Amino acid sequence: MTSTLIWTIVILSCLGLLLALLLYLVAQKFKVEEDPRIDEIEAVLPGANCGGCGRAGCRDFASSAVAAPNLDNHFCPVGGNAVMEKVAAILGYEVVKKAPQVAVLRCNGTCAARPKVNTYDGVKSCRAEASLYGGETLCTFGCLGQGDCVAACSFGALSMDPETGLPVIDEEKCTACGSCVKACPKGLIELRNQGPRGMRMVVVCRNQDKGPAAKKACANACIGCGLCFKTCQHEAITLENNLAYIDSGKCKLCRECEAVCPTGAIHGINFPKPLDKDAVKERIAARKKASAEEGAK
Amino acid sequence: MGGVHPHDSKFAKDCATEVLPLPKTMYVSMAQHLGAPAKPVVAVGDSVRTGQLIAEPGGFISAAVHSPCSGKVKAVAPYADLSGRMVTHVVIDVEGDEWADGIDTSDTLITALPEDRQFILDRIKACGVVGLGGATFPTHVKLNPAPGSPKAEALLVNGSECEPFLTSDYRLMLERPKEILVGAAIMQKVLGGPKCFICIEDNKPEAIKVMDKALQELGFADMVVQPLKKKYPQGGEKQLVDAVMHRQVGSGALPISVGAVVQNITTSFAVYEAVQKNKPLVSNILTVTGDCLPADRHHNYWFRIGMPLSYVAEYAGGVPAEAGKIISGGPMMGKAVVNLDAATVKGSSAVLYLKRETTKRWQEGACIRCGRCADACPMGLEPLLLNRLYKAGDRLEELEKYAAQDCIECGCCLYSCPAGIPLLDNVRQAKQQVMGVIKARAAAAKNK
Repeated sequence: MTSTLIWTIVILSCLGLLLALLLYLVAQKFKVEEDPRIDEIEAVLPGANCGGCGRAGCRDFASSAVAAPNLDNHFCPVGGNAVMEKVAAILGYEVVKKAPQVAVLRCNGTCAARPKVNTYDGVKSCRAEASLYGGETLCTFGCLGQGDCVAACSFGALSMDPETGLPVIDEEKCTACGSCVKACPKGLIELRNQGPRGMRMVVVCRNQDKGPAAKKACANACIGCGLCFKTCQHEAITLENNLAYIDSGKCKLCRECEAVCPTGAIHGINFPKPLDKDAVKERIAARKKASAEEGAK
Repeated sequence: MGGVHPHDSKFAKDCATEVLPLPKTMYVSMAQHLGAPAKPVVAVGDSVRTGQLIAEPGGFISAAVHSPCSGKVKAVAPYADLSGRMVTHVVIDVEGDEWADGIDTSDTLITALPEDRQFILDRIKACGVVGLGGATFPTHVKLNPAPGSPKAEALLVNGSECEPFLTSDYRLMLERPKEILVGAAIMQKVLGGPKCFICIEDNKPEAIKVMDKALQELGFADMVVQPLKKKYPQGGEKQLVDAVMHRQVGSGALPISVGAVVQNITTSFAVYEAVQKNKPLVSNILTVTGDCLPADRHHNYWFRIGMPLSYVAEYAGGVPAEAGKIISGGPMMGKAVVNLDAATVKGSSAVLYLKRETTKRWQEGACIRCGRCADACPMGLEPLLLNRLYKAGDRLEELEKYAAQDCIECGCCLYSCPAGIPLLDNVRQAKQQVMGVIKARAAAAKNK
């Protein structure tokens, strides 16, 4: 009885060792020579395989980075500058630094502000709905609310707010990989520079209809009135197709545009204090008065 | 192959056509055809007459647009179309119905065919004729196949009208059979004299009889009336070629690749008017019908393009209270109307009022692999497989291999699915993605 047991263990162990040796020899014989730096780079990458860099995954990024002459076309948005520094150190290349970015939603067409005029009962997919028609409200530019962006996010940074019918971006979790940007058929999500301490100004609308039509479709729409454009002292705002856009590179975060916007379409995000509209308006009025007096002289 | 048999519900088939009077304002869309939108050539304040050119073709595949009434141009601006998308419209304040010079507005039948092929093509192009079977592809392009294409062996004039509810083609066949046949003879001539088949489904015996009689009276050679089995989608281009000629059009190919040209009978009528009367395409027949209308409220109207749908609906007695969904076109392939103020276009064929319970989607269940969708698919695809591949995401190569791009969006799969799976919706998305890949590949090959 005991001897059978022992024999079994011995034979199986020997067999295992023999086969392991065989596998080792075969592996040595048919080994594919690969740059060891690929493994090193892959180890420092986040490993999310999100495709935010434009490659099929982290390993694809690593092998193409090794093959590239410099890092100009390689940037891991998830890992950011910290990871790119490590990658550059491994490869001995110069680091290409980029300002940290975050996804920003450009629609504030909440259920309350944007009345529904019809009912969509097709498949629950923004892409399918957008291919059929303009949407359930009169605004053909706004969020359809079926959550394609939420499904696309592999970091759990997006969720639908049932009250507003709009997606909410969790900036802590967002890695700016850009999956949601690609998923949105209306192009409502944009990657923006995070800004100092996360502060930034955004026109939360993409409606290009003329003022009255935009207003009729949604109470929160940008109506293209141009007040922000005229008020801005830093040439950060452009007005095109009845829609204002704020260039984060030029914006000085003075919040004057937010104060003058008649529909509240401009949002200041992550500011420590709420906006004191009257004070800002007084400041603008005083400046206008001063410049008028100067003009009179 | 495939197909389904929905109840034909042709409630309006015995209603003779009536002419709709002109409304106060007309909204003429610049995107009434497949291809590039037309470019307006009139400005605000211009006086126009009926049949006058108001927009020229915006590209090679595009069509001219003419004024449907006489009056003053009030605006050239974007307005919402029936799905709520903004499209440039020419808005005209109607003053009357005074036709432009050189247009024969009489009802006299002209049977003598013009000799010159180029003259015919030019007339068709100048009159803005497009395919009125649904796709609104510019007719002059289709009748003039690219050099190197096979010779046309058969011209199929499509009067099958296989969509339930629709009766506009049927009424046209009963009321203007000779005009249709002369139009067909003109197209036959342009194509170099192929045999011509007037294809009519066998659920319309009166139409077959009337067309047969008209054909005998006109005595055209090489033209026959071809009865077809009733089936949806018998009137699909590739399905019709298969049914009549027993030839299969390959994936991604046009019917001309097997020597066939398919034109709708309404297009044939428009060709007749354009060539023989120099009359631009400014009117067409529209059926107002539905399952929530009483028997005396179904109508067939001659409408002018640019009449708002709401005006047509109002004239026909208003939108019934039970209507849960309004569809422009047939119930299988038509589009839900989101904006009833949208204008009618060249391709408008029906305003359909359906009850809420008729259009309501079923609760989606699990696929039981019964294969009914694959049996029903007239293109021989496997919608259940395509649906699964689409849902798995990023399986474009396989979707292309299993020919998602060949879907004609007829809706037979969705109609036949006992589990209420939105097969058409998903396959349509898959098709769009695959088409994107194919186009990108073709563009890349061109740039090389």
